[in-house]
Amino acid sequence: MGHRQNNTALKELLYRIADDLLILGHRNSEWTGIGPLLEEDIAFSSMAQDKIGQSLVVYQLLQELGEADPDTVAFTRNAQQFHNCQLVELPGTDYEFSLVRHFLYDHSLLDRFRQLTGSGYQPLAAIAKKFMGELRYHVLHADTFIKKLGTATDESKSRMQKALNHAIPFALGIFEKSPFEQELITGNIFVGEAHLFEIWQQEISKIVSDTDLELPDLDFSRAKTGGRTGKHTEHLQPLLEEMSEVFKLDPGAEW
Amino acid sequence: MYGGGNIFEASRFDNLAQEDPEKLAEFEARIARGEKIEPSDWMPALYRKQLIRMIEQHAHSEIIGALPEGTWITRAPGFQRKMALMAKVQDEVGHAQLLYSAAETLGKPREQMMQDLINGRSKYSNIFNYPAFTWADSTIISWLVDAGAIVNQLANSKGSYGPYCRALERICAEESFHLKYGHHAVIHLATGTKIQREMVQEALNRWWPPMMHFFGPPDKVSVHTEVLTKWKVKMATNDECRQQFLDMYVPKIWELELTIPDSNLKKNSQTRQWEYSEPDWEEFKRVINGDGPCNKERLAVRRTAEERGRWVREALLTPEAKYVTPLA
Amino acid sequence: MVFDSLDPRINRLNLHLQRQEEYKSVSLDQLPTYEVFLQLKPDKEYQHAGIVHAATPDTAFLFAKEQFSRRYTCTGMWVVSSSCVWVTQCMELEESIYDHLPDDLHETKESMSAYDIFHLYQRGKQHKHAGKLMASGHGDAVIRAKQQLDQGKPVLNIWSVKTSDVRTTGKEDLEIWSTLPQKSHREVISYRAGEKLKLFKEKKHGPPAK
Repeated sequence: MGHRQNNTALKELLYRIADDLLILGHRNSEWTGIGPLLEEDIAFSSMAQDKIGQSLVVYQLLQELGEADPDTVAFTRNAQQFHNCQLVELPGTDYEFSLVRHFLYDHSLLDRFRQLTGSGYQPLAAIAKKFMGELRYHVLHADTFIKKLGTATDESKSRMQKALNHAIPFALGIFEKSPFEQELITGNIFVGEAHLFEIWQQEISKIVSDTDLELPDLDFSRAKTGGRTGKHTEHLQPLLEEMSEVFKLDPGAEW
Repeated sequence: MYGGGNIFEASRFDNLAQEDPEKLAEFEARIARGEKIEPSDWMPALYRKQLIRMIEQHAHSEIIGALPEGTWITRAPGFQRKMALMAKVQDEVGHAQLLYSAAETLGKPREQMMQDLINGRSKYSNIFNYPAFTWADSTIISWLVDAGAIVNQLANSKGSYGPYCRALERICAEESFHLKYGHHAVIHLATGTKIQREMVQEALNRWWPPMMHFFGPPDKVSVHTEVLTKWKVKMATNDECRQQFLDMYVPKIWELELTIPDSNLKKNSQTRQWEYSEPDWEEFKRVINGDGPCNKERLAVRRTAEERGRWVREALLTPEAKYVTPLA
Repeated sequence: MVFDSLDPRINRLNLHLQRQEEYKSVSLDQLPTYEVFLQLKPDKEYQHAGIVHAATPDTAFLFAKEQFSRRYTCTGMWVVSSSCVWVTQCMELEESIYDHLPDDLHETKESMSAYDIFHLYQRGKQHKHAGKLMASGHGDAVIRAKQQLDQGKPVLNIWSVKTSDVRTTGKEDLEIWSTLPQKSHREVISYRAGEKLKLFKEKKHGPPAK
């Protein structure tokens, strides 16, 4: 396996992680100031900031590998150039959906980073180790909410169930395979999406089984894929336009 | 973020003669010695009432104050600004939480305060009824409105009520980040490209008049304010705060070669006081009474957030959980 | 009427401006409060930080973490329901509450449990953890505290908490604060622009006179 190819595979992996984190952090930041309870407003905002902060570190690593600087990469690409899964770009206008997405995605992220702490690519292993504590809190938050809202009132249960049903096909899309899957595995960089999916499935099933919610079928054939190769829902491009509205007034300027 | 305007007016003067003279004397002596009042202490009804009113208004100003800057939270240009603005707006929500808690120790539950805010029975800082048209508006708010708030809050942090002082200590520490971030962002615009400079000058033009309103109209001296000053509820006059703000920030605005939209603004070298065109206090009154550009939106947003969040709060509750007045 | 906001987030809420009916929160809405105590460094005592609204110790813990320890450092957090804290009256100046408590213990057949005692040394400051002891109840705990924890320094106010009512931080939870010192986007230090300002002034007016 040539070095160049290896690098392309690695960059693809980094882009999917960084883009997921940026877009999800952005979506979650939309709740700041208008959340359901002051305390939760604050907690959810912190986690959104953590995600943007994590994405920045991964974009910085990409810059070291020869990509453009993080601001340019994040604020000037169009939707087709983003490698995030579709789950993270969906609008979060209902809190139940935002919470369910946070639960489903953050478990996958914790699992992914846990695997990456053993990555043969040292800089990535270091990043994964660094953020284990943050992710632990995110998942603790998600699990506590899922357990509570998934067992509390009729209204909360029905809202959470609906959100879960809507989110699952998109959540399956997190694990869409990379074209370089085999290289990453044999190169000892990452264990691969299939393996990750197995761990994730067990974890979320366990949590959901502690609630009155029913986990929809996790058959991968239902997955909404395409995000990893730049095929997105109609929601991503407007999100990016909004995010870069000021930046693009004068991309050369220092803001 | 909170200014001084309109806190104390229009309150019926409670009859102090009804208070136990011995307890009142002890209470006043404690304050005169510079000691703080703690929630479990005896206090005159007027003291409790005015503090609830003041701290509650301050808390409302924080939660409503999260909205004008929140306007730009999804559009902040670049990673540094994006993360800073998220953290800044989050802090405002956090400040509301701290202040509502301080007011709760006096016996008014938070949900009741929220209800009074939404139904227009309780005020908040007038300045948040103005819109943030551009990114530059959000930077001017972060810098100047927070600067004004710090002037006011530092004065209040020397007041007599323990829980309010503790909250303000933390708030002021966090707002030093807001101020630095805001100044940093404004410096980048003012020293930047032509588009950026124009943007920030226009924002300054828009925010200067509300900023002059921010500290409230000159205080009317009454028996009422005298008592509140003696009890260290009211710590500085509105004009004192305004002068201090002008002293600290006008030079910083001028060094950026920005124009303050008031040709009469200058420091009188003899009196060492700033002179300025009298702000339009009619407009101030109109806006505070509900007829500003964003009053309706601000309250509707708060109401929607509360209503849509209700199912979450209800689901979080457990039947055995019982509310008692918090301690400190 | 749906209206146009300058805030795209608000537009996505599709809210209505004209609402005639009065907003009413239901009594259900009022969550109880939890008192939050933080330890900022491993060798420091826990001290009171404030309250959060929550209905269970676990949610209180989640909320308290981001409301009270999202800056600086933190090595531990305790949360306890406000209704579980037993409070003495508040003294002033140099007068210690311990001087008003009896010296003798009543012999009791009741079973003993662990209590945490917090002291207030100065009005306007935070309550600090003074120590743990075994007692048969709150009243008994403060009398025992007089024997075991009174260092002579005036204590203006005592809080007593049954240890089993406290949600503490397990060793395995500690890593949730591990990146806290690196969250520099919340710190003043990240926003220095003096150099930019100096260059701007020099460009306009030339370098400052020596």
